Amino acid sequence: MIEEKIPNPNGELIETEISMGTVHPAALEPYRVRFFVEDEIIQEAEITIGVNHRGVERIMEGLPVEKANALTEKICGICSNSHTWNSVLTAEKGLNIDIPNRANYIRVIMGELERLHSHLLYLAHGSEVLGHETFSMRIFYIRETVMDLLDMIGGNRVQYGVSIIGGVRPRCELNEMRILKIETGLDQLESDITKFAERFKADPIVNSRIDGVGYLPPKQARKLAVTGPSLRACGFDYDIRTEMPQYDDFDFEVISLDTCDVKANLLMRVLESFESIKIIRQAIKNLPKGPIADRTWEMIDCDIIQSYIEVPRGICYHSYALENGRIRGSVIRTPSMSNIAAMQYAAIGNHITDGQLCIVQCDPCFTCTDRAFEIIEL
Amino acid sequence: MADITILYSIIGAIVTLFVCFIIGTFLPGVEKKYVHARIQQRIGPPVSSVGIMAPIKFAFKDNLEPHSPAPGLYKALPILSFLCVLLVLLFITPQMYSVALLSSVIAIIGLLKVEEIAYVLMGSLSKSIMSLSMRFPDLVKGAVHSDVVRSHIEDISSKRSLRMISYGSFPLYLSLFVPVVCSGSLYIGGIIKYQQIHGPFIFTTQGILAAFIFFIGYVILLNESPFNIIEAESDVIQGPYMEYISKYRSVIYLTKGLLMFTLAALFTIFFLGIPLNLFSWNILVYIIVALLFTLFMGILSAFTPVFTNRQFLPVVIVSTLIGVLAIVIGILI
Repeated sequence: MIEEKIPNPNGELIETEISMGTVHPAALEPYRVRFFVEDEIIQEAEITIGVNHRGVERIMEGLPVEKANALTEKICGICSNSHTWNSVLTAEKGLNIDIPNRANYIRVIMGELERLHSHLLYLAHGSEVLGHETFSMRIFYIRETVMDLLDMIGGNRVQYGVSIIGGVRPRCELNEMRILKIETGLDQLESDITKFAERFKADPIVNSRIDGVGYLPPKQARKLAVTGPSLRACGFDYDIRTEMPQYDDFDFEVISLDTCDVKANLLMRVLESFESIKIIRQAIKNLPKGPIADRTWEMIDCDIIQSYIEVPRGICYHSYALENGRIRGSVIRTPSMSNIAAMQYAAIGNHITDGQLCIVQCDPCFTCTDRAFEIIEL
Repeated sequence: MADITILYSIIGAIVTLFVCFIIGTFLPGVEKKYVHARIQQRIGPPVSSVGIMAPIKFAFKDNLEPHSPAPGLYKALPILSFLCVLLVLLFITPQMYSVALLSSVIAIIGLLKVEEIAYVLMGSLSKSIMSLSMRFPDLVKGAVHSDVVRSHIEDISSKRSLRMISYGSFPLYLSLFVPVVCSGSLYIGGIIKYQQIHGPFIFTTQGILAAFIFFIGYVILLNESPFNIIEAESDVIQGPYMEYISKYRSVIYLTKGLLMFTLAALFTIFFLGIPLNLFSWNILVYIIVALLFTLFMGILSAFTPVFTNRQFLPVVIVSTLIGVLAIVIGILI
């Protein structure tokens, strides 16, 4: 087993370069990767991001905090709820707002449903990059159950707009009919994911494509600040949900696997899906009575506030200061930022056909990640 | 009288080619609609869209000049491939059995090899915009390898095509030699005659082994998943076809359908001993075999991820060994 993957120093041995992107069918979003290869084996990889930069943080600057929170939802189409939740948490932390317990439970339910849909999307995309269209299609079908539940609670399949400062929106209230639908959906989902996982694990050809591919040594994963399921697939059982007060009432396990390859990353998402289902079941079973929003808070000025939460891909960071109810100095850091960089190392030593798979294994979200760019003087 | 016979033969061959071509255009659509889509529980495209409507659509699109060092040759290659497949189909029609030199295994393998070589040339002659170098040193993120020669992704596909020629197509050609060894004839007429006397090869031990590896070779030659390493979407995207648009792409689609039918027709002749006669019920056997091959290939590709060398080489080695075993059995029995 390689202890640490080291790129070729100053490249006398590099034979040729294969450049992929910024547009490539194996990538869901535009980015560029340069593979330096010898006989189709990757010796080094360089990933360049920045194509999706939209300057969300700059747009947030000076906006009223409620508007800015709504804007954060547009950062990502997959973890839109997580961004709003974290942005709202940042404001609540600065304004010392204690939200009703029922609202927190609804936020947790939404967060976990989003994790489910993100993990299933990841599995579908991973299968697509493997060239296994049938698996990909089947996972998309399984994911539809989650999408329907998200649609039912948030009113949309992508932008749910659930969290507001002080709680959740009135339309996201969970009545008995909705709770029953969630319960039925979760049963269906659990059965479907179990069947898929058994089929996936038993397929010898799929396993031969993913076993040992994209190995990222744990030492390097730690050094490169890999986060979320990608870190846990390298043997570290670190999940910031265990430290988040929002998850205090919930009992769940932090899954970790130690093979550090594509297979571990794929299985990690499957196993985490079961934990998410467990959390949602606890939330709907013990859903507290009472209001879902506290609108009695008052706006005050506050210095830089920071908030971290565990989103489907890892730790997400939001920070800003408040001045006359408006945002100042907004900084958002998504988990893909460090994960993508680490995948440059994971790709080393693999066949070029597996190159994209090695990068995709960290579930990269380039739209989320693109925050800053450098202007090159020509 | 002789003139009329020749005229009838020519008309018969042309009609056969035309009908087979029409049948062939439906096969890719059958695979997508009735195999892939059914397995994946989706509606799928209309059956005519892949093999018929797509070529018609592309034929009327505007063409763009490819970034190729030899654009003329590059553009001629799909037509060359199509002609090779058409000639294979022509040589297996009963009207051609009298021209023994052409209606032989050697001629068929030769033409299929030319079709394979076309992929190597397509890949090496394509320099698409997907991998063009920038006009300034590529130093983003403090890159350490700024002077490395950049390869076009079609080049990888070209190298892979070369490997396919050297060992990837072994299974198909070995399987074709099993009936040759058993019948002691290189000519299609001789092989059919032998089977009409002794029964189809498919019902012999060596015939079953050869039929199995023929199917593997069929999928490899068609560049279908899981053996589509020369056009794997995850790295080389479309591979040799990257820059073909308009009528050239249309020809590629037509070639695919025709090759599907032609290879199935080869199987019917070499393993069932039935001549390709349009004016008898034999044609139904050809259609059924073509549909069965399409069905099996569709099932295989729907349930298998794309192979890399790690999976591809063992499959080819094992298939080749089975092929050699089938030939040895054929010689001994």
